Amino acid sequence: MLTKQYSVKVFEVTLEDENEFIAFFDKNYVMFTNHLISIYGDVSTKIDKYLQEKNLKYIVNTQLPKKRASKNTLKLQEVEEEKKEVPEKEIKKPVEKIQDNLKVIDKLVRSGQELKIRGDLLLLNRVNSGGSIVIEGNLIITQIVEGDIRCNGNFMMLQASHKANIVFHEVEVDNKYLQDKLNRVELINNEIRITPVLKETKWA
Amino acid sequence: MGIIIAVISGKGGVGKTTTTANLGLGIALNDKKCVVVDFDIGQRNLDMILGLENRVVFDMVQVMDGEANMKQALIKSKMSPNLQFLAASQTKDKSVLDSQKIHKLVTDLSAEFDYVILDAPAGIESGYEHTIEFADRAIVVVNPEVSSIRDADRAIGILDSKSQKVKDGSEVMKYLIINRINPKMVQSGEMLASEDILDILNVPLIGKIPEDKGIIDASNQGKPIILDTNSAAGKAYARIAARLCGQEVPLENVEEPESGLMQKIKEMFV
Repeated sequence: MLTKQYSVKVFEVTLEDENEFIAFFDKNYVMFTNHLISIYGDVSTKIDKYLQEKNLKYIVNTQLPKKRASKNTLKLQEVEEEKKEVPEKEIKKPVEKIQDNLKVIDKLVRSGQELKIRGDLLLLNRVNSGGSIVIEGNLIITQIVEGDIRCNGNFMMLQASHKANIVFHEVEVDNKYLQDKLNRVELINNEIRITPVLKETKWA
Repeated sequence: MGIIIAVISGKGGVGKTTTTANLGLGIALNDKKCVVVDFDIGQRNLDMILGLENRVVFDMVQVMDGEANMKQALIKSKMSPNLQFLAASQTKDKSVLDSQKIHKLVTDLSAEFDYVILDAPAGIESGYEHTIEFADRAIVVVNPEVSSIRDADRAIGILDSKSQKVKDGSEVMKYLIINRINPKMVQSGEMLASEDILDILNVPLIGKIPEDKGIIDASNQGKPIILDTNSAAGKAYARIAARLCGQEVPLENVEEPESGLMQKIKEMFV
């Protein structure tokens, strides 16, 4: 007998409005090609066909264990796909999270430049259109973002213009929620929550 | 040693070559020895704008390769004895450029001239990288529209990482010229405002040039518009040239449409 154990990334989604569902996956399905889609709701043949066309694997109305199951003592062969676990604990304040090698940079991120950061970053300058930041930790940017951000930290704080492309934990954040003021974007109970920090921020 | 200034933009067609020609002539008219060099190998234009197209015998590639000496290749301008011009090769392409040869060329030029102005090619490829490699300063030319700004931003990023000065631990001084400002469009909000451009690029402004129909005719005739002391663009270039020569000339607000009596008279004829 040969057994294997995997950790897979699961994307949970409720299915209420089929059109809304299809519109969402039309836009974002590339992000979930390596995910297992866990759907809560009634899957019609239309949705089934649609997901098969997109080559997405799914399960329906399955209660998944929210904690890691205890590992089997009889490990014959274990292949663990190491991926970052989505934090399940609620984050009350960003400061409660442990700082991870905070970097402070006061440099304009110009078009064509890319910052790749493993820890946390405090950027005291702009991100111009065409510039990009890819970060595993938390992110605070005090000036406007017009470029691309990929953040996998617990939270990020930024203000973005309509030109920006902001992806938080592989989900695209709608710019209209990030405009005009500094916003806090965080993952709470697997939900992305956006709250304005202040109505108007002045750092000077 | 003279100062080596690269004129860059990233995007094509924003007015690099026109700016190079006018500032070169403007500096020469301020009694400084100035040479302008066309670095756009394979697509030379600067000779035409300076009205010297029929005078080109040798080009900079031939000088670098030792096929001609510097004296033979330098062309004196008819418009000022202080201004000389070194043409780009029209037949070769940018792959002939080589760092060592370029270093020798610009060092030789800076030994003889107060200002060495290099007209960079559009784009951010090797031709551009070679132009900025040994520059002491850079003039960034932009138009008030988003694609020009983004391309300039990219070009500045490359300048800040690949020039020899930066590799030696110092910095290339940069100045911004906002070209082709249409006052009416800025006021109606259709064009980017100067303050926004300065915010994005974070480069100090050395001058703003209003859109001027006379520039096309000036280029076609090979007489840089700076010679037309009545034109708005010519006056703007003259102010920038004076600033580059160390004079304190206050910035003028070219975004404000002309007003007063002259404007009213003009309107009567339109």
